[in-house]
Amino acid sequence: MKKIFFKGAFYSLLIVLVLELVIRGFHLTKDYPIRIIDKNQVEKWKPNQNGYSVTGNRRQNFSEFRINNSGFNSYREFTPSKEKKEIALVGDSYIEGFHQDYRFSIGNKIEKQLTGFEVYEYAYAGYDFADELNLISKYKDKFNLIDYVFIDLKFNTDLQRGVYAVIPDRMNLETPFYRNLRKFKLLVYLNSIGVTGDLKTRFRELIALKIKPDITPSNENKLKEVDEINPKYLANFNTLVETYNFDKSRFVLLLEKRNTPNAFKNYLKANNFKFIDLSSDLEKSKTPTTLIYDSHWNDKGRSIVANAIVKYTRQLEFNY
Amino acid sequence: MIFNSLEFFLFLLVVGFIYWFVLKRSLKGQNILLLVASYMFYGWWDWRFLFLILLSTVVDYFIGIKIFNSDKQKVRKSWLWCSVLFNLGLLAFFKYYNFFVESWVNMFSVLGYSIKNTWTLSVILPIGISFYTFQTMSYSFDIYYKKLKPTKHFIAFAAFVSFFPQLVAGPIERASNLLSQITSKRVFNYNQCISGLKLMLWGLFKKMVIADSLAPIVDDIFINYSNYSASTLVLGAVFFSFQIYGDFSGYSDIAIGTAKLFGIELKSNFKFPYFSRNIAEFWVRWHTSLSDWFRYYVYFPLGGSKVSKLVSIRNIAIVFLISGLWHGANWTYLFWGAFHAIAFVPVFLLGKNSKYKNSTIGENSKLPSINEVFRMMMVFSIVTFSWVFFRSATIADAFNYVLRMFSVFTFESYMHPRGFRMIDYYILVALFVIYEYLIRRDERAPFKFKSRYVRFMVYAMVILCMLLFYDSKIDRSFIYFQF
Repeated sequence: MKKIFFKGAFYSLLIVLVLELVIRGFHLTKDYPIRIIDKNQVEKWKPNQNGYSVTGNRRQNFSEFRINNSGFNSYREFTPSKEKKEIALVGDSYIEGFHQDYRFSIGNKIEKQLTGFEVYEYAYAGYDFADELNLISKYKDKFNLIDYVFIDLKFNTDLQRGVYAVIPDRMNLETPFYRNLRKFKLLVYLNSIGVTGDLKTRFRELIALKIKPDITPSNENKLKEVDEINPKYLANFNTLVETYNFDKSRFVLLLEKRNTPNAFKNYLKANNFKFIDLSSDLEKSKTPTTLIYDSHWNDKGRSIVANAIVKYTRQLEFNY
Repeated sequence: MIFNSLEFFLFLLVVGFIYWFVLKRSLKGQNILLLVASYMFYGWWDWRFLFLILLSTVVDYFIGIKIFNSDKQKVRKSWLWCSVLFNLGLLAFFKYYNFFVESWVNMFSVLGYSIKNTWTLSVILPIGISFYTFQTMSYSFDIYYKKLKPTKHFIAFAAFVSFFPQLVAGPIERASNLLSQITSKRVFNYNQCISGLKLMLWGLFKKMVIADSLAPIVDDIFINYSNYSASTLVLGAVFFSFQIYGDFSGYSDIAIGTAKLFGIELKSNFKFPYFSRNIAEFWVRWHTSLSDWFRYYVYFPLGGSKVSKLVSIRNIAIVFLISGLWHGANWTYLFWGAFHAIAFVPVFLLGKNSKYKNSTIGENSKLPSINEVFRMMMVFSIVTFSWVFFRSATIADAFNYVLRMFSVFTFESYMHPRGFRMIDYYILVALFVIYEYLIRRDERAPFKFKSRYVRFMVYAMVILCMLLFYDSKIDRSFIYFQF
């Protein structure tokens, strides 16, 4: 009996070692760039880093990212001036697009169609509306030079707070403990494909004597939830807009039906906010517009988003 | 509790520890533990249905003694009928009642009479009911045919009926094999334990990698078949062949492997069925414990093949139709059974039903002959075609699926709504077939390589594949639980 335990432990260790080597060798898991909080109290990536982002168990998406001098993922540096035409895209991971090669970002797709424009992607995974407006406010010397600012807004997730503050949970990921854990690529891989999350959830359920696992609500239910406007979120929106002097002439919101209720769109219309609803263009696509294992836009989806921004910018330019 | 879950892993650790460390000198203690563990395993799903298992156990325990103690053939037969009627009664109520009522009402409506259906009941089908009722019935049959003496140990008998590794989806064991082991002293055997762990690993691979990763593709194609081209429908049927094989044979491997950890040997249930050279060989290799049950307790009592050809054909048809119905209360299963009967009869008439009983493809060579490959492909095509009926939700869906598959054959590359990279799945299935061919001689030794290094690398690759195809969004339950 003892022999089985010792042999089992020895074999398990060897297998862990082999898996670690395979994951490193085939680069099956993503690199983590370093986060910082800069002197303006803005959370972003440490400038000038490179790495690879991987999505899916079998490297279904493999792309290089490049953090520029400003601390954002982009193929270019951000140097706005009065002489040039510029667009800023402010948002979360959807705009940031670690899952796509930085050379083919949304910004790049826009620049190819809008000659003479430079596009700056001020995006960071996890940003909500408070983060976004705080960023614009803290870097107002730069943003005042930019002609159009497109801000990604997911009503159901980005308006949970009405006041900006640094989120300590995210920064905890930069403690030595987490940094050392991330050195074990097998662990990072297991985490990214959902194994550790599933195990943790099931452990918690078993400890709470829940015999049957929780069933997550279907997408249909989620859509139903989306159609109801949350008064707290609307109040947060108004507070943030007032606090940061939201410039209705230059700022355009990017919305999607799957996370924004119709009532909110009507509210925006009534109050003269500019916005683009990306849903209709995304839904028209015959091929998938999101990645395999998450809801981020894939290359097709990002092209559609870029086209929508180009179309809207042309209208703005024409009206101007 | 399902095999591919965290709770089963923890459960196995605790039960295994008590079994071999605390109770290793007490056979009675080990049997009580097996019984408690088995009831806990089953009750994890729904404790209310434990009473059904207990009732079935008590009834057959006493009927077994009554049959044995009776000298008169008539009395023995009456007791046997009691067992059969009781067990089939359970099945009829929980599994077939609504089906028969609905079929009856539909038949009347076809004849032009409108009947309001108020007789159907909202009944939950108890998991594994078809398996344990057949197992307890086999006990009464064996005593009736004087092949077995009834046991006096109720705990051992109850542990035999509810033995958790094979309780909910087989293999269906005969008492002469399993009960005799439960009533005998068991000693820890290192090699048996290692062999069990290997089988469990291989079973988990088949379930988690082959079946679970193909499941969303198959589901999509079968649900939306009217939107897909013929080539995609063929792909759906082929993938379902591998899904159901991976799912069910994976379960059986884990069950056999788990039993080995407790010093108990269960029968093999799958012997590489897709390497069969005629349909009769397929049935010697697919779900063998059920095929054996029908052979011993239905086919032989009906006269088997020792009667006229016509009666033999009738017997074959009866066995396949009952086998179809055993799988579920739906016309799709009945049609699936009928289709296999039709495919089997020509082989029987040509006298080739036992031709490949004791051999495998590529018996004396590394590669199969062209003739063998051709035969194998034929059998695989027939079986895959029959799975369309097995998998479809209704018989109308099955026929529409088949019609669409054959009416206009167009080729279109398939794209899953979630954007799966399909080439991964084609490579996976191809590698799986090649590996199964390499190990085709012994279904109970999936990692039989002489070199320790090769063996180790295969273990590592199997575990890597489990990670490469892990999907936290899918339903992990086994297909055969519904039967």
